[in-house]
Amino acid sequence: MKLPPFAYVRARTVDEALALLGEAGEGAKLLAGGQSLVPVLAYRLFRPTHLVDVDSVTGLDGIAVGNGALEIGALVRHARLERARFDGAHRLLALAASHIGHVPIRARGTLGGSLAHADPAAELPVAALALDARVVARSSRGEREVAVGRFLLGPFTTALEPDEMVVALRVPPAAPGSHAGFREFAVRSGDFALASAGVVVACDEQGAVTSARIVVGGVEPVPRRMSDAEDVLIGELLRADTIAAVAGAASVSCEAVGDRNVDADTRRDLVAALVRAALIDVQAEVAA
Amino acid sequence: MSEAASGPRWHDPDERVAVEVVLNGLPTTLHPSPRWTLADAVREHGLTGTHLGCEHGVCGACTVLLDGEPVRACLVLAVQAAERRVETVEGLADGDELHPVQAAFREHRALQCGFCTPGFVVLAAWLVEREPEADLERVREVLSSNLCRCTGYGPILAATLAAREGNDA
Amino acid sequence: MSVIGTSLDRTRDVDLVMGRGRFVADVDRPGQLFARVVRSPLARAALGGVRTEAALARKGVAAVVTARDVPDVRIPIRLPFATTPNAERVLQPLLARDYVRYVGEPVAVIVAEDPWLAEDAAELVELDLDFGLESAAVDLVAAASDASPLVHPALGSNVIDTLPVFCGDVEGAFAEAEVVVRRRLTVGRHTAVPMETRGLVAEHDPATGRLTVWGAAKVKHFNRGVIAALLGLDPEAVRLVEVDVGGGFGVRGELYPEDVLVPFLALTLGRPVKWIEDRAEHLVATNHAREQVHDIAVAARADGTLLAFEDTAWCDQGAYVRTQGLLPAILPGAHLPGPYVWHAFSVTSHAVLTNRTPVGTYRGPGMTEATFVRERMLDLVAAELGRDPIDLRRRNLVPADRMPFTYDLGPEAPPLVYGSGDFPGFFERMLDEAGLDDLKELRSAGRKSDERIGIGVAAMVELGGIGPFEEASLEACPDGTVVVRAGVASLGQGIETALAQIAADGLGVEVGRVVVHHHDTDDVESGFGSFASRSAVVAGNAVAVAARALRERAGETLGVDAAEVDGERDFETLVSVGEMRGRFDKEHPSFSFGAALSVVAVSSETGRVTPLRHVVVQDVGRAVNPALVHGQLAGAAAQGIAGALLEELPYDEDGNPLAVSLADYAMPTMSEVPPIDTVAIESAVPDNPLGLKGAGEGGIGTAPAAVANAVADALGPAGVAVDRIPLTPARVRTMLRDVEGR
Repeated sequence: MKLPPFAYVRARTVDEALALLGEAGEGAKLLAGGQSLVPVLAYRLFRPTHLVDVDSVTGLDGIAVGNGALEIGALVRHARLERARFDGAHRLLALAASHIGHVPIRARGTLGGSLAHADPAAELPVAALALDARVVARSSRGEREVAVGRFLLGPFTTALEPDEMVVALRVPPAAPGSHAGFREFAVRSGDFALASAGVVVACDEQGAVTSARIVVGGVEPVPRRMSDAEDVLIGELLRADTIAAVAGAASVSCEAVGDRNVDADTRRDLVAALVRAALIDVQAEVAA
Repeated sequence: MSEAASGPRWHDPDERVAVEVVLNGLPTTLHPSPRWTLADAVREHGLTGTHLGCEHGVCGACTVLLDGEPVRACLVLAVQAAERRVETVEGLADGDELHPVQAAFREHRALQCGFCTPGFVVLAAWLVEREPEADLERVREVLSSNLCRCTGYGPILAATLAAREGNDA
Repeated sequence: MSVIGTSLDRTRDVDLVMGRGRFVADVDRPGQLFARVVRSPLARAALGGVRTEAALARKGVAAVVTARDVPDVRIPIRLPFATTPNAERVLQPLLARDYVRYVGEPVAVIVAEDPWLAEDAAELVELDLDFGLESAAVDLVAAASDASPLVHPALGSNVIDTLPVFCGDVEGAFAEAEVVVRRRLTVGRHTAVPMETRGLVAEHDPATGRLTVWGAAKVKHFNRGVIAALLGLDPEAVRLVEVDVGGGFGVRGELYPEDVLVPFLALTLGRPVKWIEDRAEHLVATNHAREQVHDIAVAARADGTLLAFEDTAWCDQGAYVRTQGLLPAILPGAHLPGPYVWHAFSVTSHAVLTNRTPVGTYRGPGMTEATFVRERMLDLVAAELGRDPIDLRRRNLVPADRMPFTYDLGPEAPPLVYGSGDFPGFFERMLDEAGLDDLKELRSAGRKSDERIGIGVAAMVELGGIGPFEEASLEACPDGTVVVRAGVASLGQGIETALAQIAADGLGVEVGRVVVHHHDTDDVESGFGSFASRSAVVAGNAVAVAARALRERAGETLGVDAAEVDGERDFETLVSVGEMRGRFDKEHPSFSFGAALSVVAVSSETGRVTPLRHVVVQDVGRAVNPALVHGQLAGAAAQGIAGALLEELPYDEDGNPLAVSLADYAMPTMSEVPPIDTVAIESAVPDNPLGLKGAGEGGIGTAPAAVANAVADALGPAGVAVDRIPLTPARVRTMLRDVEGR
């Protein structure tokens, strides 16, 4: 499991990284925290000819707040996200980050790396989708924003062009009075999630739900909003029976596939359990 | 890795690169190839206390501190450690005087074969110092980062909690 | 005061916590080359040819060897009672020739200047593989059928042997039964997976002709003999050195193809050769274990008296029989009766070949599988009779006044003789320790609304402390030390500390004087090694014999009785005696009682099983070093709990292994292991002077059974569906869903 051969260069700035990517051509891969890429290399499942190391690139590790919106640099480590004090529904990012692997993984793994890697079981893509965030990608041709839902195309597949790198995640302001919940199911502490649920709910003064995002991850090729389940919630109060109905709707609408870890029916059961638990978390926050 | 003022240089796969680190408090130059991990490099340097249990980031036997944070040394390329602080198990004791966490592990019999022990000791020492107020659940959460096959974990938890108590004194 | 029975610190611990251990990967020899094994990617294929030119052409590659370059020999079976004529026909060659029979089978070896180049070159070796039209034999029971593709066509069947064990009149007992419960029970494939993978460094010194191999473990003297024989060397010329070992649990130290290949390469190339197994390799190359299917019927009376059982077992051996022979199929028979009184029983055990990694003995082999099967059945019988499972056991445990208790297995087999032990008393001890009444209250209260609490128990008798004998030598040295030499192995269990305590006690010297040499075959002439919980019992007694002999001789010199000799005061006299040897013969194995109680919480919603508590008791006779004994029991219990809930080595229908990383193979973290209470029961043991029984394996034997019974208890009516391990969340949730009717 020694790493396969690759040419290596360390970039100091984004522009340098992009230029080096261009130089290296098709077999190049960006390396940041390495928590996803290095194990893949160790198993020689993937053989990049060139590695452009962006782990120390300057200017990408900021968390900026402006007018309620967030801009989070691609090199922000999961550990930092976990500890960040976000307002309202933006807390979903910290909640999701706290579930990633273990402490030593979170010390190195990055937001940009997680988004670019697009593991169907990953936590941050779920949170990003639930917050209607947009990925900021830059190439030598310029910068563009892509909604997370259009950025994640399939398992380990994104809309990132070969000469592009993720530089930030832009998160719009959360609806006033909105709360978030995140739950996942993993067999062992730190394991990949067999299913996850990220929810964002805003209620009016009477407690009726005015907006809802219910995103399920780890079940389908990419995280997806369960809009049927969201519809059940709109206008309702957060009560045990409503929550159960929403959880059931999410479970029914997700396209669960069985694999060697878990059969399809159990996956659906997990979705119901997780959506329910995440909404109960939100309910507790609303009540508080 | 010193870089020419003209810009970054590509390194060939098996080309040795000079990597300046501060290793257990001492400025040190390692000479890994780009595809060596930090674990490979410290071991090659003679610090064989950091063990390779899986080489894919699951078991934690290779845990070291990188700029003061616990990491899986098998998932960090050695070249990525350039200009950083690296602390391995060998840096914990003061000569022959054990670090309080090492002493606690010994006292509580938190080891049998000893293979996972350096990784645990580095992790526990970090926890005890960085989060002295951590509650039981947090201690368990952090210690769940690493695998042990011999002890069943009870003594490892006890040793870490004891070391933390000792720290209050 | 005797030092036996004190929890002495292990001398090695200081170095180990400081990272100053010396494991085989830390051993470097000047001029060494690095070996990398090329392994079959297919479970079953004809091997036409192996093309090595591209690999050889690589910079830094010193050699590439295939089957035709190495001796055409087979890895032998180590234990005489574990072999049969058929087993001898399906032994593994060093490198595959003509056929590959499992994914991971060694086909070639690259030797290069560094491990990176070796692995790069290994990828360039081309194998001409033709998997033809027949599929691989993967499913265990299907492999035993006549219709199955054959793993070794020359054998004519995938059933190597069928091993019967009979006692009493089974038919008669079933005829008088008032209830018969039948079930198929399955133990999933899993294995030891120590934190350190295997490794070897071999060096040949042309000047002396000696071949030294570092990285040996467990059964060094046997391995030395085999390596010498297979390479055409004098055993005296071969030296095996054990360094620090990162856990063994039965799978490390047995002779594998690499154990002969690496020394062979060192001999042939004239340079030291180092081989360190990586984790991906380990999961396909190091012995698998545990996979068995049992079709069992239990006959009982309505009042809960057990009458008889009849079991047919399919026990996987993998693609070849390796050094442990047919033990995986032999051991269940001896362990199925357990600590209970049966009128009769029969076991028909099929040793079955499949196109998968060969199977060996993992801690508590045979007994863990058998205990799961029998203890699960006892709960099913109790459920059928509407009786409490704990009461059912109380009713049937062998009473103390019937000791020694014998099962006569007929003229062809030695009897099972439980020599000593108050089984009902030990069982009650466990229930007391667990606080059964409080637990029952906890169960009724439940923890949270969707969590059900379950309590499960299991009891067993462990066969351990096996002979045939060990020899040890003691020598008081002028430098003030006492040197003990014994042919055992340290796998991390602390045997050297226990032996030091026995020596110190025997001579009446300070234990700090005692140094135990066991690492080096140059230092220790012979030994059967460390397995089957035998080291403290057999080698420990040998040390005690040597100590007594030394003390008697010293007494003669001083003109006093041996008892009058004070090891400290008379140390010089001890030195003057010189080296004394002791031998302890152990004709019969020891049987020691063990039991466990498990408390679990099962989530109805998700099927997750959370172990809350685990209590394990073991009759150890006498605990030489209580802390070490408790460490063994707890560590073993943790492995058993994981075997019940988490660990599995599944294969797809083509024989491809699906657990290829530690992310797939789910060993528990601290979060998955509950607090474990251990009780080492001391009891009178007549069959050896020190009064010891083995302590290394009891903790694991009862764990999967107790946990499975606890899960079944938690599931209530759905619990009767529990018939296999591991009980993953998906399996448990499916059982619940089937009952819910959704």
